[in-house]
Amino acid sequence: MTEYQLRIQRYDPEQDDTPRLQRYTVSGDHTTSVLDALLSLQQQQDPTLALRWSCRMAICGSCGVMVNGIPKLGCKTFLRDYNGVIDIAPLAHFAVEKDLIVDMTPFLAHLSAIQPYLINDKDDKAPHKQTPAQLAKYQQFSNCINCGLCYAACPQFGLNPEFLGPAAITLAQRYNLDSRDNGKASRMSQLNGNNGAWGCTFVGSCSEVCPKQLDPAAAVNQAKVESAKDFIINLFKI
Amino acid sequence: MKTPKRSDEPIWWALFSAGGVCFAVLLPALMLVLGILWPLGLVSPPWLSYAGVSALLHTAYGVPALLVTAAVICLPLFHAAHRIHHGLHDLQCGYRQASKLLCYGLALLLSLLALALVLAI
Ligand code: FES
Repeated sequence: MTEYQLRIQRYDPEQDDTPRLQRYTVSGDHTTSVLDALLSLQQQQDPTLALRWSCRMAICGSCGVMVNGIPKLGCKTFLRDYNGVIDIAPLAHFAVEKDLIVDMTPFLAHLSAIQPYLINDKDDKAPHKQTPAQLAKYQQFSNCINCGLCYAACPQFGLNPEFLGPAAITLAQRYNLDSRDNGKASRMSQLNGNNGAWGCTFVGSCSEVCPKQLDPAAAVNQAKVESAKDFIINLFKI
Repeated sequence: MKTPKRSDEPIWWALFSAGGVCFAVLLPALMLVLGILWPLGLVSPPWLSYAGVSALLHTAYGVPALLVTAAVICLPLFHAAHRIHHGLHDLQCGYRQASKLLCYGLALLLSLLALALVLAI
């Protein structure tokens, strides 16, 4: 067992004027994740510590925190990879509800703005078959777990919370590229705006922090190409 | 959900992309030859004389010269302007419209100047 030092940002908007940092010591071994450490702290030392989690296996996407300033899934990040005091803070660019819990409402609103579901006005009951090649077009972008790490990493979302952001644009691409979908036109109107694909300046940190290696930056750049095509086509429409 | 206004960014992004390609492909070689090797006297191609260059400028009514100027000067100018404009946004200086006008305006002005100089020779 090794002793690890954690410095956790605590904040209760009902009582505190500003966030404060609190030091804790936890013991763990080489299998202890940041989430394990936080839960053992909560259970054994400080029941007032608030955090969000569910699956513990990088599927639900609810345990995102900043670890030494980098957005990480707590359950997929291990104490063994850090030296010295480990700083834990709530996800950047979101409003803090309490301690490590942030308000994800703006993120969810952006996701729903791009209509993240199959739109198909053909009213036939037959199954929509798909070839492996058609699946391969969008499959990479379909693995998003909505953890919001890419929003905490994206400096453009930090500057402009209206920016649709990496996950929403990736999700738009995921449906636009799906052969069973024909809702692209209505999604393009969101992507075509200054707060759509064009809010991105290709910093690329979204792809660096994505715990599912989705490469949102690539999806956003594809969306830019689509939006540029849409722009040109629109010039010829009267 | 209201429909957002269409961005004019595709225009600037297209110029930026085209400029980036020209920048990456043409400028390093040009800088090496015209900026380093030639001044050091390591190469002295015969066309790099007043008569040679002026003959090149007037080939085919000067159309190739204008195209080369666009590829080597104008497009890279728009590429640089785009970067500066977005860099200013990242640094949170300058109002969007003002920095846009300044950056792309300057690129346009210098591009026209370059093309005019080529035509004037
Ligand atoms: S707890 Fe579900 S992703 Fe970490």
